[in-house]
This record gives sequence, structure tokens and C-alpha cells, in this order.
Amino acid sequence: MAAPVDSACKPGAQRSPFNTTSFQKKTRSKLISIPGTRPSVLNGQLLVSTGVTSLDFLLGGGLAVGTVLLIEEDRYDSYSRMILKYFLAEGVVCRHELFVAAAQDNPDDILQELPAPILDDVAIHKPAEQPRLSCEPQDSLDAMKIAWRYQNLPKVQCALASSSRFGHYYDVSKTMEPEIRQAAKCHRFYLPEHPAQSSGTHSPMLQSYTALLRSLQEVIHREGFDVAAPMSKSRNILRIGLHSLGSALWGDDLSCHDNPTHRHSLAAFLYGLRALLRSSLSVAVVTVPSHLIQ
Amino acid sequence: MLPELLQGVDAGGLIVIQDCAGYSGRRLLQSFISAALNRDETVHVIGFEVSEEELIGGLKGSSTQRLHFHDAFTDPLGWTDHPAFTVRQFNLDEVTHLVKQTSLPKAPTLVIDSLSWILRHVSPAAVCKTLQQLRKGGAVRAVIGLLHTDMHQRGTVGSLCHLATSVITVAPGMKGDEAVAKITKRSKSGKVMLDEEIFHIREDLAVIVQSKASHTGHKQPDPSEKETDPTANLTFNLRLSDTEREAKKKLALPFVFSKEKKTALLHSVPGSGRILYEPDANDDFDQEDPDDDLDV
Repeated sequence: MAAPVDSACKPGAQRSPFNTTSFQKKTRSKLISIPGTRPSVLNGQLLVSTGVTSLDFLLGGGLAVGTVLLIEEDRYDSYSRMILKYFLAEGVVCRHELFVAAAQDNPDDILQELPAPILDDVAIHKPAEQPRLSCEPQDSLDAMKIAWRYQNLPKVQCALASSSRFGHYYDVSKTMEPEIRQAAKCHRFYLPEHPAQSSGTHSPMLQSYTALLRSLQEVIHREGFDVAAPMSKSRNILRIGLHSLGSALWGDDLSCHDNPTHRHSLAAFLYGLRALLRSSLSVAVVTVPSHLIQ
Repeated sequence: MLPELLQGVDAGGLIVIQDCAGYSGRRLLQSFISAALNRDETVHVIGFEVSEEELIGGLKGSSTQRLHFHDAFTDPLGWTDHPAFTVRQFNLDEVTHLVKQTSLPKAPTLVIDSLSWILRHVSPAAVCKTLQQLRKGGAVRAVIGLLHTDMHQRGTVGSLCHLATSVITVAPGMKGDEAVAKITKRSKSGKVMLDEEIFHIREDLAVIVQSKASHTGHKQPDPSEKETDPTANLTFNLRLSDTEREAKKKLALPFVFSKEKKTALLHSVPGSGRILYEPDANDDFDQEDPDDDLDV
């Protein structure tokens, strides 16, 4: 079960300089609300957005914290990679922490390809810019003749602060700007950087999966994502993206042979991952090239 | 697309030529070698399956100093005391050492004949790892390998081709020495291009592409219908002449203020009302199913 929420509470309306009212909802709950999450209407579980709002709708509102989402890759790994990037981009916008693991591509390359979020700015009153506005608005392409009062307003106005929204929209034709991306904390695991150490004990998991699980455990414990950690600090969510588990580059021959020698390795890893996530404030998205696995 | 692949491989590329029992891909591999030599590139060939004379005998010419053959045919498993190149030596360090012996400024192209031979003695996971390291390493510009699909399980072939940037599957064609090539090319941006061509290889190892393989029942797309003008054939006049259009533009609309008053009103006052809208589930409008009642 994911981290339960005692009472269905929404984060209080944040004060912005352009707040029209001074009304602020009184929250009675002692649980510190985490930005970018909301409680599920069905059972009160804490949900995060996958980045794709239609997918959130299919999953029943969002992805529950403490769970693993497994995506079977398509033939050329185009759509599954896109969903993984959306998931990570959503983490950057909501200011969650990221953990990216891959064996084929460098995690830095994956992070550089994240789609750009569409953040609409609220129409800001700038008295210093008055002389600039005297230039002809009719010269611009979208000058409106009849509805000219709405000319300077953006097409879609979002809620007060973008990061308090659940689920954002992205422009896939552009990549996320480096300033936004570097504001988020990312942990990386690139398999070629972890040399193979011969383990003395016989373990049901491959050495690469063991190293990954150990690295995850270390990050969760060090950064304080355990549910058991002291509540005094502000809590955050860790988003874990694991690319192409089970492919040959992880050392797994599950996708190569009909009778693999390590047939249970990936399953053992997934069990370990689920157990680790159940007691922490994290959510994982895993892609598996199932078209190669017989 | 086959001529483009022959003309140049992008840096960090892995081309896998898949052949079957009906048509051998070795001639195509030789075409790739000769095309690379004609481009003044250095080529290193590791030959496991056939001897040196058979593979590059026909390529002896002026450009042989740029062609280096590493003999893994005579003793690939190291049964004698001094093997030239064994299959166990197919890993990143040994291959890099082999390739660096020529020490030229431009990174060479590595040709492997064939990957199937290596896969019979080394695990597929290790071969994939070595190929990936060679691609990313920078010691080698590009890797071209021959793979016999009949020799391996589907998963092994699939795993190897999953790594490749381009896969050329050759099969026997309809007549004579023609062959059909199905090409899958992955670009760096993630775009995948598929193509199917009929080709044959001349004596001088030049590849002649006959034509694109014709798909049965392929119709010409209908020419786009001319848009019918809705304002024609009416008993009343819906069109505007130029003078009428000018007059329409000049008409002063109500509530259209002068420019100064407009810009004064356009400054948003703090505290003015704003429209806040969060798109919800009903905004996911499906063009093909507007009523959401199709049972697909």
C-alpha cells in the first residue's frame, strides 16, 4: 500500500502577488502536502501525474506513489521512450527528484531530450513597459479587431502557479531548457560506469540488477525518501525511470535465448524494486523490450 | 536507401546485414568494403568464416594499404600455439589494440565477417556489450557486421538488431542474380525509415538498385478533388467585389475605440478578473469518435 493520506486535503491556495481574493482554505491535516501530488478520490492514495494527462485518466487519476509502472516497449522503442521522457519531465516541472538508469544510452542524453513544458505566464502588469505598448497592436498577426480587449491575454490561463497543478502539457518539438532542467536534482546510473564485480555468493539476480538495486536503496536512504524518516523535513517524491530492463546490454540473456540461464533474474529484481518502493515515497516507471522476450 | 548507406555511415553507426540460406550477404559486405575504400577510409576486416583471398581477393588494387585483414580464419579457437586472432579476443580492449596499430588520424571502419561465428562461441549479451562499447568508444568510426539469421534464435537476432542503427535484410529475388533488400534505418533523432529495394551486384562490386519493390494492389492516390465554391450557382449574390470589400473595411464598428483609448484600456489593472481554466477529462476530444460511444 502506498503512503496513506489521513484526510483528503488539497494544498492551500498559494499567495501570489496577483491574488484577487484573500481567501485561503484552512487545512487541518498535519500531513505536509507535497507539490505535484494529489490524493486519489477512490481510496485516498497519494497520486502523481505521469506527464501524459490521458494516461493519468486511464490509470484512474494518476500513478500511485509506491508503485511500479511497467511499459512494454514498441518495436523501435520510440513511444515507450517518449512516455519515459514525459514522466521525467513532469518530475522536473513539479520539482520532484529524479533517478534515471540505463544501459544503452547515457542518462545525461535522456535528460537532455526531455520535452519542453508549456507554461503560460499570467498577464503581468508592468508599469515600466507602458511606452512599449504604444506600438501598433494592429501590426501583429493576431491583432483582433472586435475582441481587442483579449488581445494581450495568453490563450490559456492556468492556475495561479504552474507547479501546483496536477498534470502539465509539453511541446515535443522543443527540448526543455537547461535552466529548468538543472533546477531539478537528478541521480544517474549508467551501467558501463559500474564495472562488474564477481560476487562470491550465488544470488538469484544478475550482478547488474544487484548493483542497480543497491544504488537505488542508497539514494532513497540518503536523501530521506523513506516513509520512516523524520517528518520534520519537507517531503518530496523520487521519480525513478529505468530504461530497457531485460535487454542484452544489462547482461541478461532473457531476450536472447528460449531457455535463458537467468530466467528469474528480472522477476527477482522487480520484486526487490517493489519491496523497496513500498516503504518509500517514490514511484517507478520501467520499460521492458518484451517483443524480444519469448 | 541502399546507395545512401553505401555512400557513408554516420559516426557511431552499426550496420547489420542479415542474410539467409537462399542468398548470401557476403557480396554485399564486399561492396561495403570497396565503397569505404573508394572514399579513402581505412578499413579493418576481421574474418572468421572465409579466408583472406576469398573475402578481399577481388579488392587488390591501389587502395590496399588502407585495408587491413585480421586473420581469424586459420585458428579462431586458439588450438595452435600462436593464433593470429581468436574469438575470445573479441572484446573492447583487444579490438581497440588491434585497430590502433595502424594509428591513423581518422578512425577506421570495422567490418566483421561474421557475427554469427562469434555468437556461437561467446554469449549474446557479451557480444552486444562489446558492439555497444565499440560504437561509443571512438576507436572505431563504424561497425559493419554480417549475421546469418538461420543460425540463431529469434531473440538473439532481435537483440542484436535492436542495437543496430541500420539493418539490411537480404533475400533472393524473383529472377537470376537479383535480390531484395529490406532496410531499416534509425536516425539519431529516433526517426525510423523503412525501405524495400531490388538490387544486384556487378562484377566490380558496385550495387545497382533496380527499382523499389512493387506492392501488389498499390493504387495511385486520387487527385485531390477540386473544392466546390459554395457561393456559385445561387440566386442571390454572396460574393464581394473589390469596392464592396473596401467599404466593408472602412465601416466603423460599435465599441471600436481610437487607438489611444484602446491601448489605455489594454493595460491590465491589478486585481482585474482572470479566467482560470483547467482542462479536464472532457477536453480529450477524439476526432474520430466525438460521442465516445464507439465500442472499439
